[in-house]
Amino acid sequence: MLDAVGTVVRLGLAAVWLVSGAIKLADPGQTYVAVQAYEILPAGSVGFVAAALPLAELALGVLLLAGLATRTAAVASGVALLAFIAGVAQAWARGLSIDCGCFGGGGEIVADRTNYGQEIALDIGFLALACWLVIRPNTLFAAGRRDEQRVREDLTAASQEE
Amino acid sequence: MGGAKDTERKRRQQRQSAASKPPVKSSHQRERMRLFLGVGVLVVVVAVIVGGLIWTNVAKNETEGQAIPVKSADANLDEKRDGVTVIVGSDDAPVTIDVYADFLCPACREFEQEWSDEIHQRVEAGQLRVRQHMVPMLVNLSDPPGYSLDAANASICAADEGEFTAFHDSLFAAQPAEGARGWDEGQLIKLGRDLGISGEKFANCVRNGTYDRALEAEFAKIREDSRLQRDFGQGPAFSTPTVVGPDGIITVEDGWLDALLDDTKR
Repeated sequence: MLDAVGTVVRLGLAAVWLVSGAIKLADPGQTYVAVQAYEILPAGSVGFVAAALPLAELALGVLLLAGLATRTAAVASGVALLAFIAGVAQAWARGLSIDCGCFGGGGEIVADRTNYGQEIALDIGFLALACWLVIRPNTLFAAGRRDEQRVREDLTAASQEE
Repeated sequence: MGGAKDTERKRRQQRQSAASKPPVKSSHQRERMRLFLGVGVLVVVVAVIVGGLIWTNVAKNETEGQAIPVKSADANLDEKRDGVTVIVGSDDAPVTIDVYADFLCPACREFEQEWSDEIHQRVEAGQLRVRQHMVPMLVNLSDPPGYSLDAANASICAADEGEFTAFHDSLFAAQPAEGARGWDEGQLIKLGRDLGISGEKFANCVRNGTYDRALEAEFAKIREDSRLQRDFGQGPAFSTPTVVGPDGIITVEDGWLDALLDDTKR
């Protein structure tokens, strides 16, 4: 029963990373602008982070979707989410001014800035998913091993039969 | 007597070991399948990463190796440089507007697409004079950074050669994407040449960034000017494009230009 819940959690978190990564990868320029806007990274590394971030998200998404190295992927997800929460929180706290204020269309940049609370709440929700999987990585339909205990059981059974 | 029992035992043992063998074999099979799947997933991950890197590199460097297409001005408008502001149109025109724009700003490009022709017509007809203020606001939003400033500087250099309008219009028509590669100095110089600017003065002006400091200083003043700020929900801030008429900041919507010129006629 808990395995089934874990499966839903795992697939849910996978979907989060796959969608988020795909959106970022689709528009590398906009991703660069978004990373820049947090004004937290040293100048030279913005490009690297903006290029690597979508790929890392997609990689995590694929691993979780397949159920490979679930606990490791969950830990990595948790770390990434904590970093995002910290990033948004500091932007909120610093009240980052709209210096990049090019207001075209629906004023997207402005809208992002007024949704700090929502963004953080969402990330905390995703963090909860990741925490579940760290504590209990057992899921159904997974390509990887279910958990250490079961592996040990399999191995002892195999050696006894010999 | 013992023999029959022994054979019984042996047969029982054989049956037991035969019965217990299949589980061992299938757990090996399972292991092998898991390994196969695991490798398969890793291959997918590597493919995603490599493919993603190639795609990102292509998407962010569209302006590499290209020439900026020329968008020539349909009319020959009067231009003169005043510091780092370019005044387009006759001094006798009844209405003057100030336009603040950044060459990398997408909203500014939209403004140009929608209003450039009409503005040119009014200027040509002597009804309007435009003071163009190119600001390097988005200088860090190109990758590599610097396009905003380089373009603004180059446009002032072009103004010194009497080709500001065509240069300005060409750059907006071929605007690079934010977060991506802009046009480099070589490409900006080539645009000047394609517009008919000859001699080394223009090229040197672009390469030396002659007006860089002046543009930055001017922008520092502009962004602190409360008359040029608007509130979009996060407090007053300067943004582009900003159009300022005789009565302050103009809200750019349908018919704004007609309304502006009619007002002053009255």
